[in-house]
Amino acid sequence: MNPQSLLYNPILQRELTSRLRSPNALIALAIVALVSCGLVLMRWPGEASIDLVSQGSIQVFRPVTYAIAIAIMMLSPAFPATAIVSERKKGTLVLMLNSPTPPWMVYVGKLLANVLLGFLLFSVSLPAIFACYAMGGISITGHILPLLMVFLGMAFQYSALGLWVSSRSQSIDASLRWTYSILLFLVVLSIGPSVLVGKLSGIYAWIAQALTTLSPIPALQQITGALGQSKSIGISTGWVEYLLMCAFSTIGLAIATLYKLHPNMMDRARDAGKVIEAKESSWFRRISYLVDPNRRKSGIPFWLNPVMVKEFRTRKFGRLHWLLRLIAVGAVVSILLTVVAATGTVNWGVDRIASSMVLMQIGFLLLLGPSLGANLIASEVESGGWQLMRASPISPWRILTGKLMSTFLTLILLLFATLPGYVMMSYIQPAIGGQVSNVIISLLIATAMVTILSACVSAFSKTSAAATAGSYALLLLLFAGTLLIWLGRGNPFGPVFVERALLFNPAATALAEMKAPGFETFQLIPKGWYVGLAICAAGLIVLILRIARLTRPE
Amino acid sequence: MSDTVVETKNLTKTYGDFTALNDLSIHVNRGQILGFIGPNGAGKTTTIKILVGLSKPTSGSATIAGVDCSQNASKIKQLVGYMPDKFGSYDNMRVHEYLDFFGAIFGIPGKVRKARIQEVMETTNTTYMQDRYVESLSHGMQQRVGIARTLLHNPEVLILDEPANGLDPKARIEMRQLLLQLAAQGKTLIVTSHILPELSRICNVVAIVTAGKLRAFGSVDEVMSSLCPQRNYEVQVANAEHVGSAERVLREVLSESEPLTSSPAELTLRFPTVRTEAELADLLHKLVAAKIPVTQFRELTTDLEDAFLSVAGKD
Repeated sequence: MNPQSLLYNPILQRELTSRLRSPNALIALAIVALVSCGLVLMRWPGEASIDLVSQGSIQVFRPVTYAIAIAIMMLSPAFPATAIVSERKKGTLVLMLNSPTPPWMVYVGKLLANVLLGFLLFSVSLPAIFACYAMGGISITGHILPLLMVFLGMAFQYSALGLWVSSRSQSIDASLRWTYSILLFLVVLSIGPSVLVGKLSGIYAWIAQALTTLSPIPALQQITGALGQSKSIGISTGWVEYLLMCAFSTIGLAIATLYKLHPNMMDRARDAGKVIEAKESSWFRRISYLVDPNRRKSGIPFWLNPVMVKEFRTRKFGRLHWLLRLIAVGAVVSILLTVVAATGTVNWGVDRIASSMVLMQIGFLLLLGPSLGANLIASEVESGGWQLMRASPISPWRILTGKLMSTFLTLILLLFATLPGYVMMSYIQPAIGGQVSNVIISLLIATAMVTILSACVSAFSKTSAAATAGSYALLLLLFAGTLLIWLGRGNPFGPVFVERALLFNPAATALAEMKAPGFETFQLIPKGWYVGLAICAAGLIVLILRIARLTRPE
Repeated sequence: MSDTVVETKNLTKTYGDFTALNDLSIHVNRGQILGFIGPNGAGKTTTIKILVGLSKPTSGSATIAGVDCSQNASKIKQLVGYMPDKFGSYDNMRVHEYLDFFGAIFGIPGKVRKARIQEVMETTNTTYMQDRYVESLSHGMQQRVGIARTLLHNPEVLILDEPANGLDPKARIEMRQLLLQLAAQGKTLIVTSHILPELSRICNVVAIVTAGKLRAFGSVDEVMSSLCPQRNYEVQVANAEHVGSAERVLREVLSESEPLTSSPAELTLRFPTVRTEAELADLLHKLVAAKIPVTQFRELTTDLEDAFLSVAGKD
């Protein structure tokens, strides 16, 4: 690979200039700079003395580190996730692949442009990091350089991930949905087995530890001196292991993406839509599709909101046959978890089973919710359907309720799939009936929150891609961001601050109610419910006003 | 059939300092097709949006079948079938499901809707594509499904924004026949298009707007005679060496307001004129008297495009 050809890569130059010209890039850079400097200012010691060994500087350094890490997680994958699929849709990818520019150069241009932007993102926080260094107790080789390498590793890994998903996706919103879902797994769920299961041995322990190298959280905890925190929750990996995993995963993802970057990938026939008659349906098809998407639908009945029915029918993922499959998986997993615990196969208490189930439900919510909600209004406006609905006599209220219900009902169905597990749990330990009810209420609030907030983002976005990225970013910030604060409990964050942060996360409310490991000391009910309901009410008011504005004559 | 169905009176729409529409007054009778012509940004879409109740005028009024478009938008939505220039496609939705959805949001009861969908699909010749996904249809097919969608609630007036845009010649002919058929059924149509020869073949009335102002309104013949009072004449000679001598003879007769252009390669000479038939006969006589072998002496037809260009050129 000639370094000069990399430097004069036209794809890299175009991507960089177009991104840097965008006001959003400037806003993102300004926010990161302001937040990192603001955190340093807030935690700057009052006394005019510098202590080389004290923990004062670490307490400033830690929140800055986590803030930048969250910014990289939220912003880095968004552009690569749309990069290839949007170029394919616009027809510019085929022009590039049919030019003398080799596919690897197209790939490297897109990857490097995003990594450089990521680099720019965390470089604006360098003054804040060096302010921590100036306080003492932090070294360049022991803290700052490893931290910058971890940030760079994150930028490479998430950019490569976004490009890989983008090369395989058929639509921009599906690409964003899958990218953020995998990101959620990489960052949070990968440390789940170690945190939830506790001490393991043999091959299981090795797999659980290997999974933790996918997440930057252990690496950041090691660098910011919170290794004890990691060890207390069963994690023993650090930043070196994380960087190695980043390198391997980035190379693997690059090879997989380059394999797909071929002019042949554009050579796909449009699906004209085949209708399967009842008599043609095989027994296998009848079992695998309880609701066959290829069977002719009857008309929309008068008692159903037509907008809601339309939303269900126009989804690829999230149509009834997919939902039924997910519900079946959810039901089976929840029963299995409970049976395993009941038969004493593993020494899990009700708290650990309930925690696993809550995490599984929140995983489902965050996987499906933002992409379903974000497409409610933005994609309608984008496709021209909104204009047609405005020209029809249907009321704005009916449009809004139809759209919200299509997402809310889908997510509720998914949540209820785990009810058999809870029923069995209550049967094993009847005393926890009240706790189970509280968990279900918390999850219902979480569902409403996911639906309303992503619909709000959608109502203010010009494109469905921006709406999907915005919804994932907002909800991950709310759900994963507050859990990051929880991970820093005791050091640097005090118990009061952590509890207040967790009030914004209904998943934390549910976990605290089931006394999940690490959540035993928090009492979040009913305050967490009130906060959740207040967020839902505020979001709903904003949404109603916005829909009224979008539907009224200009 | 001369009752007015669509009428605008002194319709004006401003956005801040910008005047999108300035004092527009037009009327269309039942069963007529109005061709709404103008360059991009002329105010066509603004007018259409006011007529379908999506925008409110700053001053003036617009009525459809006597119903005020800004005061009674919900009634207007039942009276008008609107097809915007963007199709409004949904993923994973078949043509039948698509029409069923729009029928439902127009409040058509289930059984009536089922029959109505069959009816509009037959009218627009889209029955064979009812099981196909709307996003997989070609542009011409989508335009026909778009018209089927506007017909679902049986509106009195159809407003079609660029229905022939991007269609191949065969699809364009089919579209033209469909629009004429709808007008014959008593529907009133307002059609915008950039393909002016297409409009002149189907429209009873045309309105030309530029920069928000109405420049011409009336039947195609009325508009052309008001905008293009000069007639274009062409003289063709037998061979190239006579082009020069014919030019000399014509220059002696023609004035400065009748600029002559000659094309030796085509053996032709052209000039615009307002002369009477007798004066033109005298001109031909002079050419023949000068022993110039004239093979053709004819009037070139002026079309809507010339009329439009004569207006657009002034702005």
